[in-house]
Amino acid sequence: MRRIGGLIAFGLLGIMAANSAAAQQANSAIEEVQRRVVKIFGAGGVRGLHAYSTGFLISPEGHVATVWNHVLDPDTVTVILHDGRKFEGRVVGAEPQLQMAILKIEGEDLPHFELADAGSAGTGTRVLGFGNMYKVATGDEPVSVLQGVVAAKTRLRARRGAFEVPYDGEVYIVDAITNNPGTGGGVLTTRDGRLLAMIGKELRNSETNTWINYAIPVEGEFADIAEQIMTDRFRSSRDEVKRDEPENKYRAVDFGIVLVPDVLFRTPAYIDHVLPKSPAAEAGLRADDLMLFVDGELVQSCKELEAELGRMEEGDFVPLVVRRGDELVTVELEVPDRDE
Amino acid sequence: MHRLIPLAVLLLMSTCCPLCGQDDVDLATREERVLKQAAALAAPSVVRIETVGGRDRVGSTPGGTGPTTGVIVSADGEIITSSFNFAAQPTSILVTLPDGRRFAAEKVASDGVKMLTLIKIKADNLVPAKPAPRASFRIGQWAIALGRTYPTPAPNVSVGIVSALNRIWGKAIQTDAKVSPVNYGGPLVDIDGRVLGILVPLSPQGNNTTAGVQWYDAGIGFAIPMEDVYGALDRLRAGKDLRQGVMGITFKTKDIYGAAPEIDRVRYDSPAQKAGLKKGDIITDVNGEAVTRIAQIRHLLGSSYEGEQVSLTVRRGENTQQAELTLVGELKPYESAFLGILPERASTEQASEAAGVGIRYIYPDSPAAKIGLAPGDRILRYGDSNITDADELRDAVGRFRPGDELELTVLRGDERKNVTVKLEEIPAVVPETLPPIRPPQRKAKADDGDDADGEGTGRIAETMEGHEHDYWAFIPEDFHPDHEYALLVWIHPGGDTMEADMLEAWKPICRERGIILLGPKAEKVAGWTPNEAGFVKAAVESFLEKYPIDRSRVVMHSYATGGVFATQLVTQDPELFSGVSLAGAPLQTAPPENRPENRLQWYFICGENDRLHRFVELTVQVLTKLRFPVIMRSVPNAGRIYPDAPQLEELGRWIDSLDRI
Repeated sequence: MRRIGGLIAFGLLGIMAANSAAAQQANSAIEEVQRRVVKIFGAGGVRGLHAYSTGFLISPEGHVATVWNHVLDPDTVTVILHDGRKFEGRVVGAEPQLQMAILKIEGEDLPHFELADAGSAGTGTRVLGFGNMYKVATGDEPVSVLQGVVAAKTRLRARRGAFEVPYDGEVYIVDAITNNPGTGGGVLTTRDGRLLAMIGKELRNSETNTWINYAIPVEGEFADIAEQIMTDRFRSSRDEVKRDEPENKYRAVDFGIVLVPDVLFRTPAYIDHVLPKSPAAEAGLRADDLMLFVDGELVQSCKELEAELGRMEEGDFVPLVVRRGDELVTVELEVPDRDE
Repeated sequence: MHRLIPLAVLLLMSTCCPLCGQDDVDLATREERVLKQAAALAAPSVVRIETVGGRDRVGSTPGGTGPTTGVIVSADGEIITSSFNFAAQPTSILVTLPDGRRFAAEKVASDGVKMLTLIKIKADNLVPAKPAPRASFRIGQWAIALGRTYPTPAPNVSVGIVSALNRIWGKAIQTDAKVSPVNYGGPLVDIDGRVLGILVPLSPQGNNTTAGVQWYDAGIGFAIPMEDVYGALDRLRAGKDLRQGVMGITFKTKDIYGAAPEIDRVRYDSPAQKAGLKKGDIITDVNGEAVTRIAQIRHLLGSSYEGEQVSLTVRRGENTQQAELTLVGELKPYESAFLGILPERASTEQASEAAGVGIRYIYPDSPAAKIGLAPGDRILRYGDSNITDADELRDAVGRFRPGDELELTVLRGDERKNVTVKLEEIPAVVPETLPPIRPPQRKAKADDGDDADGEGTGRIAETMEGHEHDYWAFIPEDFHPDHEYALLVWIHPGGDTMEADMLEAWKPICRERGIILLGPKAEKVAGWTPNEAGFVKAAVESFLEKYPIDRSRVVMHSYATGGVFATQLVTQDPELFSGVSLAGAPLQTAPPENRPENRLQWYFICGENDRLHRFVELTVQVLTKLRFPVIMRSVPNAGRIYPDAPQLEELGRWIDSLDRI
């Protein structure tokens, strides 16, 4: 249904044409943006994977920022400008953490966005999305434009495991259906054409099982790293050493908490009993308390509770919220020393 | 008063627009400010709701575990939200107020008509939502959908307009603001920050808590008018769930916009039966309003609750009749009566031009056996009506209840006799031996030279037109267009189409029992998504059209994780299927309603050591309680494993006997 949603959202732009001066101004802003957005064709075409995406020019000599995905798998991809000019593009750098890749095409005096001018916008601000959705734009046709508002500006990873993305900074969630096939790598701008963010790849929210429409802000880290790539000073985060998982993680029982047997897919984390003289006993936890929040994070099951406690470090104080009867009780637990 | 604020703000602002450099602020910018402000005005009444525990899936629709939204409706802690948020029946509900305070909440009651749930927290001095008066509703007015699913101080927003009023049988406002699980339960507010309605998933067809979710973010969203929410509040406060009121009738036609509302079936012990309504009555007035089409009746009664009074006027022949009904929330489960025979089929070679229905098989100890009926006998009449085919006899018997007596006229050889039979419940048995019915012999090749024998039979693999989805199928090699086949629709489990195994196991059974096997494939073998229901439905319909298939033997079959999607399909389109057979899978959705107009029979098979075995047993209990005919087979010393040959042989016999009467 999302796909149909995308099509319905098409061409609703007319709503903003409330008075002609404003409309004209918006139109010229749109044209300005469209001149800087390119269509990218690369690998894919196999079932379920589209072979096209979007990018935007960020230097007069042909640097193109786009989304890091399978479309860029071949050595070169085809980049088509708004006026139909066709270029060969090569990846010169990428930062998968930001879902960002920078391509280079051989051009000069190309219309482009100045990364330093990227702005920001708050919830409720009207925005425009530009992208090569469903590759409906061909040849010298400019990319499609959608309108919507910023639904929220928030972290995707605010709740663990909800999204399968490495990026944990703030993103714009928008109420236009921007995350359609091919729109990834497009831009989100204000109504007057100011660059805000790069539209991310298609992403499902595993908590609600819905597709989300989001874009990664250009201002800040994205712009910095893009600059570094363009000036050849960037070292990818992929080269960094992987963090080792701590080997003996804390478990509930280390705090003196014995949970009810974990029999269901999502067994609520009820305390079966509390070990005497343990940190849990000292904090006043009791049998039948339902563990709800650990360090501010909602835990919806025994498994999530164990995972959350596993993150604790020796000597930390962990605020816990438990439900006792119909009251919520807040306690603080000290993380015990590790017995080696 | 707050309408003036944006203007005041405007005067203080200087430029807004780097590209144009104009000093005055255009209309769109002013609009944007007013919209933001409307959201801010409503925000103090919008809370975040989180749940702990409960089922991980609700059918195959998203069992939302994410945070959702609610709206404060009283200063002392009452909060209304979408029932969708509680479809998974969580064990604990948590509410976070806009100021960050957290409370445990209790569920008070649900409204099953408007799909709303009232919850309560122990808090005071809250800010109840201000309703927008219904008289102020205008199609085309701004509508802002608010949710509190992100950990941001301000609610998440989506801006749209009111697209329509009185949608879904008069229940809801329609909006093109994006409505999805991120704002279900939240408010749809107007430009003054007043609440137009509460956002809920709804669908004109479905009537369960998750119906309509497939429309999320599609530009089709629904909200229950806030005035109606406040109107239902007192009843919800009483703590009793509100249910849709029903009369207990079905109509002769499915054409709800054209034909006259003529009653077909009147359910046993229903309000309609108590009020004396009968088959053939045509409803002409509902609560004093004249009606000529079924759709009008649904509009008038679509949001009626259990316990409400309805007065009907019906035309019966030349007369006009008045009927007063008290709607009920639930009908007594339908029980199909059983005669105890399998009918001969049109293609059975013995089937002559003779009138009535020939008997192929008699169930031992059945009513038919007790009065001495035997295979080969023909049933010519029941009561005063002639019988022309098996469907007619099945429909006739289905209108009686177990225990009722039925007069039959039976032909044995040349002898006609009248018998009275006392009908019983459909038993949970499969005939132990059942000689198959062979298709007629094909003409020898010599007769029509270019018709290659067996073309289009055996295993075939095709792509469903218009859906870009593949399916495979097995058509018995001796396929004959005059033979009536059963259709077995195979929904593979996640991760494995099992095509080769299924083909090997089922080929001999399909040949023997005249079964066409259809195996749709999920787009991603890893698992089915609810959106793929349309493809499967289209595939089944295309087979029903292409091949001579007996509608009383169309079976949904699945194994393990495929069961969820399989039962979703059956629940969505019950009229397509007449049997459901699940191996190693319980029913994970609410069971479909047991309706006389389309009989559904069930067959479960599960390894004794399967972790799900006890849930399968529970399913069988639930379905039996609903008076469905259910067979359950436990395989000793087996875990999660697809049934082997002897078990499938019985399943084949079950499929071959689904047309029992």
